Amino acid sequence: MVICIIALVVFSIMGLFSAKYRALAVEAFDCTFRTLTFRPCRTNLQDRIKMKVTSKLAGRFPSMAKAFYKNFKIFSWLFVIIFFGSMLYTAYTVYNLAVYGTCDPSSPSTCTIKQATSFLGCGLETLFIYITIAALSILLFFLLYKYIKLK
Amino acid sequence: MDVKKIREDFPALQQKIHGKPLIYFDSSCMSLRPKQVIDAMNEYYEKFPACAGRSIHTLSQKVDEEYRKAREVVAKFIGAKAEEIIFTRNTTEGINLIANSLGLKSGDAVVTSDIEHNSNLLPWQMLAKKGVKHKIVFSKDMQFDESNFRKTMDSSVKLVSFVHTSNLSGYTFPAEKIAKIAHDNSSLVMFDCAQSVPHKQIDVHKLGADFIAFSGHKMLGPSGMGVLYGKKELLEEMSPFLLGGDTVANSTYETHELLKPPEKFEAGLQNYAGAIGLAAAVKYLEKVGMKEIEKHEEELNEIITEGISSIRGLKIIGPQPAKLRGGIISFNIEGLNPHDIAMMLDSTASIAIRSGAHCVHSWFNANNLPRGSARASLYLYNTEEEAKIFIDKLREISNTLR
Repeated sequence: MVICIIALVVFSIMGLFSAKYRALAVEAFDCTFRTLTFRPCRTNLQDRIKMKVTSKLAGRFPSMAKAFYKNFKIFSWLFVIIFFGSMLYTAYTVYNLAVYGTCDPSSPSTCTIKQATSFLGCGLETLFIYITIAALSILLFFLLYKYIKLK
Repeated sequence: MDVKKIREDFPALQQKIHGKPLIYFDSSCMSLRPKQVIDAMNEYYEKFPACAGRSIHTLSQKVDEEYRKAREVVAKFIGAKAEEIIFTRNTTEGINLIANSLGLKSGDAVVTSDIEHNSNLLPWQMLAKKGVKHKIVFSKDMQFDESNFRKTMDSSVKLVSFVHTSNLSGYTFPAEKIAKIAHDNSSLVMFDCAQSVPHKQIDVHKLGADFIAFSGHKMLGPSGMGVLYGKKELLEEMSPFLLGGDTVANSTYETHELLKPPEKFEAGLQNYAGAIGLAAAVKYLEKVGMKEIEKHEEELNEIITEGISSIRGLKIIGPQPAKLRGGIISFNIEGLNPHDIAMMLDSTASIAIRSGAHCVHSWFNANNLPRGSARASLYLYNTEEEAKIFIDKLREISNTLR
């Protein structure tokens, strides 16, 4: 089932912080691999995702829950298309930023990332360094927190 | 029977799951335990955590005494003698013990029903590889078909091994009739009583059984604890399936002298805490009353069956009258996956039911139901109010998803 592809990416990232998600990432990987080789999934991960969302919707929006449950395959494909579309668009933006210094070369003034660097009073490279340091700090914090908690 | 008071004894029922009180309808898989059982087991671990039958110190003597008492309590519960009770890990082990100890040879036949749990199917399939024939008696409308059974019986049939109460449909096979026909054919009879001993008053002599097997975890007792009953004279003739410590009176480098039953079948250090916990569970059930429990489950089943019958596309597996299905309601709703029903009940109302093949894959495969069914199973701690919530939620789910 295609929804496993998104699950693989999401659970892999979440797995960096919690072991609980690593098992799910392995499950999602197995399902993705089998989907890509045109075989049915061995796990019921897709069903669990489907029912988790359906049950959340059922309480407040029963008609939406019904639509989601009945058309889960269509929704899965839609999510995957949106997911890959966003990934491609992000890659295109990063490429433009690196090569032209703006995310949209045809209309540089609309690039909010460029505006952010101007607002912060730093260059694009400096902003990337700040973001990397922040991400590493968060990762370190989580690892330390986990280590202390385990101790 | 004061269900409200009974519920106070079960710590698991005092908690909330997903912010709602737990409604536990999965007792056919695993029952909940009252604090009396938990306390009895804790007492063993806290006060006399020693081994029985080996050492002579005070703690060991105490374990010896408690273990002996546990065997007596269980024996009395099913109308047997203490030496006819073999403690096992579960029903599965009990059936496997018979399959491997009865001395069945190539050409002999074993007869089972068509709705057996894998525990009472796979051991015979394994023996079939060694030449033992495995015959299946097909049911009629999911009930015992006497003429089919009589046709199956011949001189090759050495053992009739039937489920007593089906974990799939809740239907109870007429054990006395089956035993009589089998004995008239000079065959031995075993019943898988995993779903009957916890819910009905069982007397092995009334059943006419030569062997019965059941599990502790389905009758308020600990997991990893089961019982095999066997007639004394048969147990004496049989060879043990497992050998080792506590099964022998003496041994040399070449020979050994086996103990009498039941000890010769209980190899290795035993689950003393389990046996003590099981005895506590039996006492608890006796105190409430088995007839009361059976009646209570039937009443709840009536309410549920009546309530869910009006749900469009719902089909109950097994005999349609609730009275014939004890405390089990196995069902499918057209267009819905049973796993989805179970997951929705759990996440929206904290109702725990089981879904899938319930270890009766053979029946579901033969009936072209690869996804199995949803199953609600009741016990003494379930209430009418819970039954009504279950009906409402099931209807709501069916309306929402279909």
